[in-house]
Amino acid sequence: MTRADRILILLAACAMPFLYIHLWFGDEPAGLVQIRKGGHAPVFETLQPDRKLRVTGTLGESVIEISNGRIRFASSPCTTQVCVRSGWLTHAGEFVACLPNRISLTLVGKDPRFDAINF
Amino acid sequence: MTGQLSRLGCLLLVLGIIGCEQQKDPVYHDQFFAFGTLIDISLYGVEEPLAESVCRQIEEDFMDMHASWHAWQPGPLASLNRHLSALEEDTIEPSILPLLTEAHRLSGLSAGLFNPVMGRLIALWGFHDNALPLGTLPDNTAITEWLAQPPSSNDINIDGTLISSRNPSVAYDLGGFAKGYAIDRAVDRLRAAGIHNAIVNAGGDLRAIGQHGERPWRIGIRHPQEDGIIASIELSGDDSVFTSGDYERFFEVDGKRYHHIIDPRTGYPAMNTTSVTVIHSNAATADAAATALFVAGPDQWWSTANSMGIRYVMLIDTQGTIHINPEMQSRIHFEPGINADISLSALLQ
Repeated sequence: MTRADRILILLAACAMPFLYIHLWFGDEPAGLVQIRKGGHAPVFETLQPDRKLRVTGTLGESVIEISNGRIRFASSPCTTQVCVRSGWLTHAGEFVACLPNRISLTLVGKDPRFDAINF
Repeated sequence: MTGQLSRLGCLLLVLGIIGCEQQKDPVYHDQFFAFGTLIDISLYGVEEPLAESVCRQIEEDFMDMHASWHAWQPGPLASLNRHLSALEEDTIEPSILPLLTEAHRLSGLSAGLFNPVMGRLIALWGFHDNALPLGTLPDNTAITEWLAQPPSSNDINIDGTLISSRNPSVAYDLGGFAKGYAIDRAVDRLRAAGIHNAIVNAGGDLRAIGQHGERPWRIGIRHPQEDGIIASIELSGDDSVFTSGDYERFFEVDGKRYHHIIDPRTGYPAMNTTSVTVIHSNAATADAAATALFVAGPDQWWSTANSMGIRYVMLIDTQGTIHINPEMQSRIHFEPGINADISLSALLQ
């Protein structure tokens, strides 16, 4: 074993804790939201920082607000406003949809406390 | 020494490679829109090709069921309603016969509090469509007329596939039941495909079979009056959890809320209840029971649950008091900080 081999093994050993933390637990924020629009593949957004997202659906533009790790429909062009009235989603597993505009939000997490939310 | 270092190096590299292997989520998730809501399916430990295939079959089933069972859009049920309103005998399509038979059975058990033939009343309130008549109350005269000749399951006669009605006010609307029935069919589809650990969640009402690997499925019950969760429950067999709430669909006039759960005895939205959560192995039964117990309210939910064979109920009234039976109380876990008054009932039989 050469000196270079030993240095390599030492570096690997030092990197091990970082690799475990980084790859097993990830460095992404704990909360993600899955946004699905019609039949399109879902996209994922982090719940940090606070911001507003504008998503265009079948009827028009829905404004989705992210604040303090929560998410909600702030406005939507539908007549029912069921999505807006549903309020904030706070736990992984919760979802809300604006059916007329064909947009849905689902909170997901690596180890969600709940597998599903009843409401 | 060199050999030991080499072995140690190999060990570390192997561990490093294992460390780089991200654990794959054992739960396959699928979502689609149907029945006016978002359907969310979770399958544990199922290979992706099978999961994808069975979810697409379920989506197709849901689309077919929705088209057949819609009371107001062109289809078999809308056609049946036209014939029944003219007091004409009609033939029931085989695809909807078991749905109607089961709806009438549950209506009878609920003493009519779950009423599958009050479609005209629901339409008067505008809750038959996805669009709400915001800020518009129905004509009170029309409600009074409906109440003068209130339709019920007793007005319907089904003989084989022939159906007739003796009340022209009869109109099917299976909104309080069809979703649960469809979830049951989805579970049948999953089991036929050899899938025994799954959740089928339709807009927050769900049936869970099996469990999540070595642990039960964990379900949160959303607080009906605040953000967040009021209680949780663990499921590891075959249970449906359904909640009916006054927050789901409503409109306001002069600051008063008019929600979509109509009491067939008064013609107006059921008073005194904010939400009812029911657990039952059968999703269709849970769906109908959640509606019936909501209408029954804080004073009559217990007797209605008994007659419908429901063993687990939590009702939250408009004052925030939680009415619950001991069996339900022993199954759910309230979240820390929930300080509502709890009214514990007698055991359900």
